[in-house]
Amino acid sequence: MNVKKLGDHIITVDKVCKTFPNGVKALCDFSTNIRRAEVVVVIGPSGSGKSTFLRCLNGLEEIDSGEIIFDGIPLDHDKKNRLKIRREMGMVFQSFNLFPHMTVLENIMLAQKLVRKSSTGVAKDVSMELLEKVGIQDKVSAYPGQLSGGQQQRVAIARALAMKPKVMLFDEATSALDPEMIGEVLDVMKTLAREGMTMICVTHELGFAQEVSDWVIFMDQGKIIEGGTADHFFSNPQEERTKLFLSQIL
Amino acid sequence: MKKKRYFTPTDLMLSVMFLLFCLFIAYRIKVGLNYNWAWDSIFQFLFRFDNESNSWVSGLIMTGFYTTIRLSIWGILFATVFGVVSGIARTSSIPLFRWLATTYVETMRNLPPLVIIFIAYFFVGDQLLYPLGIDDWAETLSPTGQNIITVLFAKPSQLTSFLAALMTLAIFEGAYITEIVRAGIESIDRGQWEASHSLGLTRYQQMRHIILPQTFQRIMPPLAGQFISLIKDSSIVSVISIQELCFQGIEIMTGTLHTIEIWIVVTLLYLTLTLPCSLVVERLENSMSRGVH
Repeated sequence: MNVKKLGDHIITVDKVCKTFPNGVKALCDFSTNIRRAEVVVVIGPSGSGKSTFLRCLNGLEEIDSGEIIFDGIPLDHDKKNRLKIRREMGMVFQSFNLFPHMTVLENIMLAQKLVRKSSTGVAKDVSMELLEKVGIQDKVSAYPGQLSGGQQQRVAIARALAMKPKVMLFDEATSALDPEMIGEVLDVMKTLAREGMTMICVTHELGFAQEVSDWVIFMDQGKIIEGGTADHFFSNPQEERTKLFLSQIL
Repeated sequence: MKKKRYFTPTDLMLSVMFLLFCLFIAYRIKVGLNYNWAWDSIFQFLFRFDNESNSWVSGLIMTGFYTTIRLSIWGILFATVFGVVSGIARTSSIPLFRWLATTYVETMRNLPPLVIIFIAYFFVGDQLLYPLGIDDWAETLSPTGQNIITVLFAKPSQLTSFLAALMTLAIFEGAYITEIVRAGIESIDRGQWEASHSLGLTRYQQMRHIILPQTFQRIMPPLAGQFISLIKDSSIVSVISIQELCFQGIEIMTGTLHTIEIWIVVTLLYLTLTLPCSLVVERLENSMSRGVH
């Protein structure tokens, strides 16, 4: 068990509803709190609203009702607030979404220079440090198209980390990878978790959840069915729906 | 991966038929048309020896050719600017920009170019440009200044009509470039917007650093194709007396009646402009299909 101290609430999600234009209810009266340094793993069947939850947190999707407060800033219609929140949340996507017209180094330096207004020198130092951390310092001047999926995803993590975010969102970060590359990406994520990064991970990797998560949320049809610590959650689930889901994937 | 090509009997037969057809045309021109070839009198319209200045100067066709080149280069430049600006407006989140750009595109694409040329010439030229007094201003310039204007655009006395024709051409072709740019922007994967969004870039920064660079890489082939169209379409401004290649061709034809020679020369001159562009397009398309990131 990792013994780490969780801080106060950094994200408050209160009664959030989100219905897509096609009538699909992605989130329904969704409430939860995330504490500083907490690693939350969100699991659930596809279409249960896991990704929508992450995308609402950083404003990629607009919520219909309810309230999201990030570090004291409400995520409302105020553009400045939304921009502030986006800048403090790193996001890693299933499909990597690296910028294909830029080298690895340029990918990581871009936001530091444009958003954080770092000088090229500083941005480069930070980038090199991060690339070393994710283990691809030798691919600095490669283009994303020349990298394997696992390498691309590690660059994407480094790119998000370069903004020194307060929270990292992982949206099925390993789902598009070949099996032998999942490990290298999960290792980076585990390292981050142990370093005390606040993380919300949508994933199918239950091993990862068991190893590093502080809290597991099981979602279905836009609602939280059950939440608990990993130990409690996997060994002793309370809800029938959770038991069914776990029996299907374990 | 090129397919091997074989010269089959069918190919041979078709080639022979084509050759016979060409011979027939030549025969008709020689016998049926009773045409007097006068290639020797054509050359003076390309270049002639000027006795006054004791040097070779360009003839009417070549000066027309230069005007076509000027129209094309400036036209490509301005049409690209118009097209990119209104292409971005077409994808804007602000409705007013979208409506304006859509109106522009739909108007230009649904009118015959000739109609646009006349409207724009008599309105833009007479009502907007002449009152600015560009001709008068150009004529007050020093001889060097006037020379520069002449080399870059047109003689000071013809400057206004040249600019009116140029703007008409650029606005007309810009509408097509708008659609190319819009399609290019929309073809960029949504993930690129989302990734740059979550890094905290503003919409301007997303466009400038992420979306447009990839768009331009992608739309180069259709864009170059549109540039070729622009070079060809520049011939329609002959109807408002811009003395470009086609205009000079018509003038000399009515003056000399050497119809076929003139248009063969004009054809070859247009091809010297457009064929290299076509080759560039082909290169671009090949390198794109090979998948350079």
